[in-house]
Amino acid sequence: MTSLLEGAKKLVTRGTDIGARITALEAAAHAARGRLDDALVDEAATASGRAAGRLRLSARHTVVGIAGATGSGKSSTFNALTGLELSAVGVRRPTTSWASACVWGTEGADELLEWLGIPPRHQTTRDSMLDTRREGNAMDGVVLLDLPDHDSTELSHHLEVDRLVQLVDMLVWVLDPQKYADAAIHDRYLKPLRTHAAVMVVVLNQIDTVPEDRRDSMVADVRRLLDQDGLQQVPIIPVSARHGIGMPELRAEITRRVADKQATRQRLEADLRGVAARMQEASGSGKTRELSDKRIADLEDSLADAAGVPTVVDAVERSTRLRAGRATGWPVVAWFSRLKPDPLKRLHLDLGDSAEQLSGRSRTSLPVTTPVQRARVDTEVRALADDASAGLGRPWVEAVRRASTSRLPDLNDRLDRAVGGTDLGVAKMPWWAGVVRAVQWVLIVAALLGAVWLAGLAVLGYLQVSEPSTPDVGPLALPTLLLVGGILLGVLLALVCRWLVAATARRRAHAADQRLRAAVHEVADELVVRPVATELAAYAETRTQLATALK
Amino acid sequence: MSETNSEMLTALIRLRGALQEAELPLEMPGIEEQRTARREMIDQLEDYAIPRLMTIEAPLLAVVGGSTGAGKSTLVNSLVGSRVTVPGVLRPTTRSPVLVHHPSDVEWFGQDRLLPDLVRVLHPTNDPDALQLVATESVPAGLAILDAPDVDSVEERNRQLAAQLLAAADLWLFVTSAARYADQVPWGFLKQAAERSTAVAIVLDRTPEDAIETVSTHLARMLASRGLKDSPLFTVTEGKVDDQGLLPAHHVAEIRGWLESLADDVNARGAVVKQTLDGAIRTIARRTYGVADALAEQGDAATRLRADADRAYDDAIAAIVAASADGTLLRGEVLARWQEFVGTGELLKSLEDKVGWFRDRVVNAIKGKPQQAERVTVAVESGLETLILEHAEAAAERAEASWQQLAAGQGLLAMADQDLGRASRDLRRRAERAVRDWQQDVLEMVRTEGADKRTTARFLAFGVNGLSVALMIVVFAHTAGVTGAEAGIAGGSAVLGQKLLEAVFGDQAVRSLAERARRSLEQRITELFRAERDRYVVLVQSLGVKPGVPDQLRDATRRIDDLRYAESKRGAV
Repeated sequence: MTSLLEGAKKLVTRGTDIGARITALEAAAHAARGRLDDALVDEAATASGRAAGRLRLSARHTVVGIAGATGSGKSSTFNALTGLELSAVGVRRPTTSWASACVWGTEGADELLEWLGIPPRHQTTRDSMLDTRREGNAMDGVVLLDLPDHDSTELSHHLEVDRLVQLVDMLVWVLDPQKYADAAIHDRYLKPLRTHAAVMVVVLNQIDTVPEDRRDSMVADVRRLLDQDGLQQVPIIPVSARHGIGMPELRAEITRRVADKQATRQRLEADLRGVAARMQEASGSGKTRELSDKRIADLEDSLADAAGVPTVVDAVERSTRLRAGRATGWPVVAWFSRLKPDPLKRLHLDLGDSAEQLSGRSRTSLPVTTPVQRARVDTEVRALADDASAGLGRPWVEAVRRASTSRLPDLNDRLDRAVGGTDLGVAKMPWWAGVVRAVQWVLIVAALLGAVWLAGLAVLGYLQVSEPSTPDVGPLALPTLLLVGGILLGVLLALVCRWLVAATARRRAHAADQRLRAAVHEVADELVVRPVATELAAYAETRTQLATALK
Repeated sequence: MSETNSEMLTALIRLRGALQEAELPLEMPGIEEQRTARREMIDQLEDYAIPRLMTIEAPLLAVVGGSTGAGKSTLVNSLVGSRVTVPGVLRPTTRSPVLVHHPSDVEWFGQDRLLPDLVRVLHPTNDPDALQLVATESVPAGLAILDAPDVDSVEERNRQLAAQLLAAADLWLFVTSAARYADQVPWGFLKQAAERSTAVAIVLDRTPEDAIETVSTHLARMLASRGLKDSPLFTVTEGKVDDQGLLPAHHVAEIRGWLESLADDVNARGAVVKQTLDGAIRTIARRTYGVADALAEQGDAATRLRADADRAYDDAIAAIVAASADGTLLRGEVLARWQEFVGTGELLKSLEDKVGWFRDRVVNAIKGKPQQAERVTVAVESGLETLILEHAEAAAERAEASWQQLAAGQGLLAMADQDLGRASRDLRRRAERAVRDWQQDVLEMVRTEGADKRTTARFLAFGVNGLSVALMIVVFAHTAGVTGAEAGIAGGSAVLGQKLLEAVFGDQAVRSLAERARRSLEQRITELFRAERDRYVVLVQSLGVKPGVPDQLRDATRRIDDLRYAESKRGAV
């Protein structure tokens, strides 16, 4: 059965891309939900759902609806077309209260009628096999619907008409000489349905009541009104259902269109196109946008600023200098630097592993973001949103703006955590610091040794004890060399190391800067860039899909 | 004219005046209905109630109205007995109304009487703004028949005109046909007539002989169920028209007879006029309350929109004023430049820093301090500017968001020629200007204050520029002592500035200087934001919603109700 339906679907969609259109409109509605007007998106979803529903049903049948005002002769036309007195005809208005159907060729029609919501008691079958009339064959595959009126005091009739006008494949509008200029039919149905001109026929009934010499001018007047409605292509057939005037032409027009098997597809396409065009109008057709790298970089700069990255980087440099300087400085004065507080400790950024375990991830003591910094961030976010949404339709501009600021309240906390959670790489001393330190101590020991030696010699000299010979190195005595060399070399080494330390501190500051900015990049990406990119992607999707649906 | 009538007339004219004032410019749910009501009421007062009350003895005006194609024009022609209006098969036929009256009644239908906005003409026309007058002996004196356009064709102007004409009628001759009698649109009019107790006669036109029985019974039942059972129902069978376009006389004899007897009987005529006029005035009075309520709502909405915009911008001003006084501005760039300027830093500066410091000193010695004062000024400028711009953006966003929540606000935003959700384009320029002007103010203050201290050593050392920079710093840390968090850093530098100024000017003068500078800043920011806010305020003001009008409307209506009540009591006695 499924394969049969699939086959039927293929038959209807053969040589066309209606299936693709339906999918595209569905996808566009999905992407635009929450961004474009809900009513419009719902309409698009309904239209694509309805089209898919109709395609699944019998493709052999074409549903022809006869609609019109009360008293225009819908039922008479219906009866004349079916050749049976199926619908009640009367002078009491409104006459027909429900839609009734006549089906030529029943196979597969039951589901279709169920989908149309026509109960079996209002259905009649004209099976072509048993039909003795010649035109019966031509009408094979027609589901003719007699709709209630749309303009009487019975509101339930209007609702039924509105429902069925959405579903039928082809519409025959019955006008009559008295009512053909009514606002009720032109403003409520014909004008809004101008996108469906290809699947409509207008019938001017009761033409027998008009003097023959006036008929042409009346048809011309109807033409004028239809042109005003935007229905230039719709044919007008003057008929008299009661006297049989023009009925062969009407039947021929219907059978011709039914034989084409195009009506269903055309109707669905007109539906899809109509709503897709309105969505495109609301959505705007501006080019899809990408976020510019420069804007993102500017935003990250301002975020880094707000997060106190320069402060931290500065602290890293000074802290490295302090610690390494203490390690590699001349030990005699290096202890002095212990009096200075470690800048990183002051920012609570270097608590060490154990402290972190104890306190969980505590907040850092970075300076609170100032209003000016915060203002810079907000300005950058706005600039980014404006830049990203330039040229888009109004609803998308608003969607992008909303997305860009939706997560900003989390910003301070997230930035703080990002900075606090970044490894600044200051825990380890540079490898050469240990060597230098050892050398420094050796030099100190040497100097002390020299000093003690010299002092020993001095004491011996004072006590007039003969001095043991001291080895000479070059022009200087060894103890003197030890003392002077130890001190001089120590100071010299400390000076050289100071330079090395400065270079290391700068390098580490740079590395910390890179890492911190990477963390800030993550935050910017998550809080601003990604939400905006999502909106832009949704726009691109909507735009492409609508273009497919409208192709 | 009786006294009651003239009192009533005064009340009606007053009501019309109030209604004309009562424009309903804001978009709101259900407002379109009230706008239509207001327009219809003004029309009906001008076209009918006021002129009718002024000339209560004027002929009875019977308006022939109904659907297109129901045969109104043919009926009028047949009633008159000659071709006065052009019937046709093309719809809609009649576009311009035709008034048929007895030659002796001509004085009653001058330009200044009924329907004053329709131009009187004496020849057939298609102009919907013209009223063709036809004088003929074949209508009885004391009765005029007006052929109105249709109520339901595609021509919108026809529909409006028909509604206007029907509202000006003493008596409706409502024409429908066998094909049309159950149509929704005409029944809408009949429902109105029933509510207003307008005198209505229904003509069932173009009815095939064999259907008369069924259709007229059904129509009579429909009329009864909709509160029009007292209205006479005439049937006219569908007949062959002669070459003049007239129905055979016997087809319309019944209606003609009825109209003639009505025209002859002064009392009956008076009763019809009184019923319709009274109904019209009663309906107008009743509907006025709806318009008054809608107008009062509009006033509230306008006030609320205004308040929303005000709040958004007041918040922004307050935020900037707070941020510029609590010392937070002193952080970062400004602080760095300031410290550079006053030459404080951390106690233990590294050697390089000292070299830098020394170099600066040397440079300063050559170029002078002002160069560094300049840097502080620039830093202050950029900080304040960023703050102002961002708050202006945020305020615009907030104001727009709160307007978007109301239908009225959405309508106004759509009217605006710029995107109000963003700060105005030249704000950056104006903000720069304002900040610079303020700095100039501060400079000026210091210069005036220091006029007699020019020669003191400290004044010379820092100069006017330096001292004004110090004053700015003091202003920025105005409330820093209270907020605490920033006191450590910002307070410290501010104290330094304070000390410096006090040393030059004395503490009393410094306090007043700081206060003046702060107020000047506040004033400039407020001015800047006023221009921003005005973009919103102007929109609200351009609407011209007047606050007193709802009460005027209610007063006028109450007066009318009182007069009607007094009259009904008199009538009862």
